Amino acid sequence: MSIGAVLRAGVIASSICLASGLVLTFAGGADAAARILLQVGVLVLLGTPVARVVVSIVEYAQERDWTFTLLTVVVLVELLAGAVAALMFNRRL
Amino acid sequence: MITVTPVLALIIFVAGAIAGSLGALLGLGGGIFLVPFLNLGLSFPITVAAAISLTTVIATSSSVSAGRAGKQLINMRLGMLLEVATAAGSLLGGVTAQLLAQTTLQKLFGVTSAIVAVIMLSRLQRRNVILDPSVDPGILGGRFHEDESGGTVTYRVKRLPVALVASFIAGNVSSLLGIGGGFIKVPVLNAWCGVPMRAAAATSAFMIGVTATAGAVIYYGRGQLVPALAAAGVLGVQLGSWAGLRFGQRASAKWLKLMMAIVLFVIAVMMLVRGSRS
Repeated sequence: MSIGAVLRAGVIASSICLASGLVLTFAGGADAAARILLQVGVLVLLGTPVARVVVSIVEYAQERDWTFTLLTVVVLVELLAGAVAALMFNRRL
Repeated sequence: MITVTPVLALIIFVAGAIAGSLGALLGLGGGIFLVPFLNLGLSFPITVAAAISLTTVIATSSSVSAGRAGKQLINMRLGMLLEVATAAGSLLGGVTAQLLAQTTLQKLFGVTSAIVAVIMLSRLQRRNVILDPSVDPGILGGRFHEDESGGTVTYRVKRLPVALVASFIAGNVSSLLGIGGGFIKVPVLNAWCGVPMRAAAATSAFMIGVTATAGAVIYYGRGQLVPALAAAGVLGVQLGSWAGLRFGQRASAKWLKLMMAIVLFVIAVMMLVRGSRS
């Protein structure tokens, strides 16, 4: 799967979730479904760049370009560190 | 906390559409217009404005780059390398934003915008384009076809440490203030590192998705991201950037730079005034 395809799939999936979640929020009567759709939409959106980085790692590794494989792995670790930082913040406050 | 009403969602959708079209036109990502609007216009806390804006930055980056991936305008290698620096800066910025006062963040926003506007204006005439297509672009350089002139543009990346430092700062400011950070990276890459404006903008737009994610995760974890408002913003920005991109392809690089500088000055003044009032 190419980088372009990953980005497109992520954007389309999250946009559909967010749009239907937003419509349901104001339509009323389906609060739980609306909340889940919005949360999924946000998480898919946040996950799209992460997925793009993972695909890049695979692509560089296939090309045996180890310098760029390593650099891209570092980027992935940084993204995961953001999630860890968020969790730590919540525990302390 | 903020009460989500259909009217508020609609306002943010429209604001997102306008910000997105301007952002796409300038290669900025839209956040630089959306944050001042949400913070100054709608009086959202700057952290809440930043969280919404960062999600729109991710969406813009992803959709814009999806269409461009595979074409030569995005310099993937340079982007990946600089992402190491932007993501690190972004992590730091997301944490710092939780600790600083709103007025401090506003002043920071104003000062940074003004500095970059000055850089843009002073470099208006430079093109940094090597027109000889036989030039070796090296590992990090690039080559792309320019529709305006019909020629092939080849460039080498100069002063890599400068690009890395600028990327770190851009990443930091991105998460701190909820913007893409392109307004720092693009001028620096163009003015000092030999990257043509178009390639700098495309590569920056490609990078800001990852940059914004590193920071957005922290806002999300802290509960500062209101999903319904983020949804309205994201959908608006998507619509706007789609429209802006169609128009932007016909605009000249010089016109882009000039418009970028004017917009930055206006935002700088507004943020400094609000930040000093407290």
